[in-house]
Amino acid sequence: MTDTGKTPYFLSERAQKLVRKRYAAERRFRFYGLAMIILALAFLAVLFYTIISQGISGFVVTNIRLPVTFTAEALGVEPGATAEDLKGVSGFKYTKLARRSLNDYLGIPKGDTEDERLSRGLLSNGVDVQLRKILVNDPTLLGSTVEVWLLAHGSVDPFVKGQISRDLPENRRLINDQQMAWLEKLEHDGRVDLRFNSNLFTEGASADPELAGVGVALLGSFFMMVLVVLLALPLGVGAALYLEEFAPKNRFTDLVEVNINNLAAVPSIVFGILGLAVFINYAHLPRSAPIVGGLVLTLMTLPTVIIATRAAIRAVPPSIKEAALGVGASKMQAVFHHVLPLAMPGILTGLIIGLAQAMGETAPLIMVGMVAAVFDFPGSPMDPATALPVQIYIWSGLPERGFVALTSAAIMILLAFLLTMNATAVILRKRFERRW
Amino acid sequence: MIADTGNVKFTTRDVHVFYGAKEAIKGVDLDINNNEVTALIGPSGCGKSTYLRCLNRMNDTVDSARVTGTIELDGVDIYDRSVDVVQLRARVGMVFQKPNPFPKSIYENVAYGPRIHGLATKKSELDEVVETSLRKAGLWNEVNDRLDTQGTALSGGQQQRLCIARAIAVSPEVILMDEPCSALDPIATARVEELIDELRENYAIVIVTHSMQQAARVSQKTAFFHLGDLVEYGDTEDIFTNPREERTRDYITGRFG
Repeated sequence: MTDTGKTPYFLSERAQKLVRKRYAAERRFRFYGLAMIILALAFLAVLFYTIISQGISGFVVTNIRLPVTFTAEALGVEPGATAEDLKGVSGFKYTKLARRSLNDYLGIPKGDTEDERLSRGLLSNGVDVQLRKILVNDPTLLGSTVEVWLLAHGSVDPFVKGQISRDLPENRRLINDQQMAWLEKLEHDGRVDLRFNSNLFTEGASADPELAGVGVALLGSFFMMVLVVLLALPLGVGAALYLEEFAPKNRFTDLVEVNINNLAAVPSIVFGILGLAVFINYAHLPRSAPIVGGLVLTLMTLPTVIIATRAAIRAVPPSIKEAALGVGASKMQAVFHHVLPLAMPGILTGLIIGLAQAMGETAPLIMVGMVAAVFDFPGSPMDPATALPVQIYIWSGLPERGFVALTSAAIMILLAFLLTMNATAVILRKRFERRW
Repeated sequence: MIADTGNVKFTTRDVHVFYGAKEAIKGVDLDINNNEVTALIGPSGCGKSTYLRCLNRMNDTVDSARVTGTIELDGVDIYDRSVDVVQLRARVGMVFQKPNPFPKSIYENVAYGPRIHGLATKKSELDEVVETSLRKAGLWNEVNDRLDTQGTALSGGQQQRLCIARAIAVSPEVILMDEPCSALDPIATARVEELIDELRENYAIVIVTHSMQQAARVSQKTAFFHLGDLVEYGDTEDIFTNPREERTRDYITGRFG
């Protein structure tokens, strides 16, 4: 440096101050970003903790192990009856078998009406189905005594799981002191255990939490997703291709484009009302059926698919299309042979995100009547069913303690599906992504 | 300004091109000869690429573009209703500025054109077309053992020769080249220029270039465009040694452009 006395500008105090300010601003921004991410992760952790801690108990259910004697007399069949005969026996007779064995175990004599009435409250209303299934599977058990795990009543379950304190005064409990004493005796004998709740996956609606499941809802959601893929993919991609590549660019297509973009932001319940008016009232499709739900969800998913497809098509370099046109491909050949395959990862990602959205949708399905309690599995998309999020909504409003756990368990199942779908979208994108 | 040599492939008269209200080409009369390389030179925005894209109706893909005047290929107006644009583009092939192979295998890149035009139906015929095209493009010896690798995995120069092979696979009569070497290094450029000279035997070639040395090296005829006008057209030698027009002289001596 020369000693002419003048410091160069970039070494001056003013310039240095600017530099420090610049660095400080950048540091601050980084800090904000990091802080927001940590905050978001904390919220996510709380959410998962709440759902999982509540829901995990929904995957198990209290069972009582009892020695059940399948007497031909009590069931009203001949000794050596076939599986077919045993299937025809009324459920009440099986229930009586289960009650008899419980009463025998607890030492309640026949005819002691008050104690018999109370002991019924320990067993689920679904024990007849359990016993029938065991006997039909193996008719040779007729006449013998078998140790069987029977479902406990839904009012017993929260006490076994420790969700409701046993120290509550009797008048605030669903089971009284006598029933509690029996439960403790059974527990002491090692005859009470929490076992995997298979009903959660295989059953439909029920007033008893231990018998309720998301099976019907899962099948309903599955039917609807299939319908959405079958309709939204070809329609959405076709519409996007036409608008992007073939439609004349004028006011009218601009208007269509604006409307499609706006359609993506229309509240979903409006689609539900549309479905109610058009598909049920006008087209007379069955109410509560997955076909109507699927059509409504298709309408909802279409804008997402169209927008994603158009973005994916626009992301394909025009040079590829020019190259195809240059060797004498028609516009349609250029688009279908070259542009569409290259846009496919983007299209699939859009579709799966649209599907995940549709899968989690509740409001429009309520409008088309899919909120009914459906006990039987739908045989086709024309039969009544519910959907997973609707089932969650229904359960969340029920007062029994058991449904609280079921609600969270169903949310976990729904989240598992959504995570799987989103992971598939990421994998597809990574897999088919091409660079050029 | 019209060449008087015989063997004319393209005859263009009073060609105007409009992009919306803007006139990009202002009445060009030009003939393109067979078995010759015609170079179109001129500063950026002079309309030489636009003119080139009229010859295979590539301008049709631009919504706002409008072409007037007559462009005849072997005496038939290519803008006539009876002419099918897809067939026209097979007869008049094109190589673009940036190498743009399809993101498919080398084989598929070359086979695509013959396949959609039904030029080869059997696998053996297709194999033959692919081999001859790659040989003509001088690429066969470099890629014959890896025809199923991605075309985009080749080097820039190889990609451009692949694009040339793809263009000649449909047996065109004319090949249009839009600055084919602007994205290539000098060695790859030399290979492509050599190739252009070889291809001249069988095709009429029109090349747009920014490099005057390139025009001088590869072309027999040169057309100088400026601001949408065809300023001068003639034998390349004459244009570069003895231009008639002041503007041409200024451009080739590097005074503007």
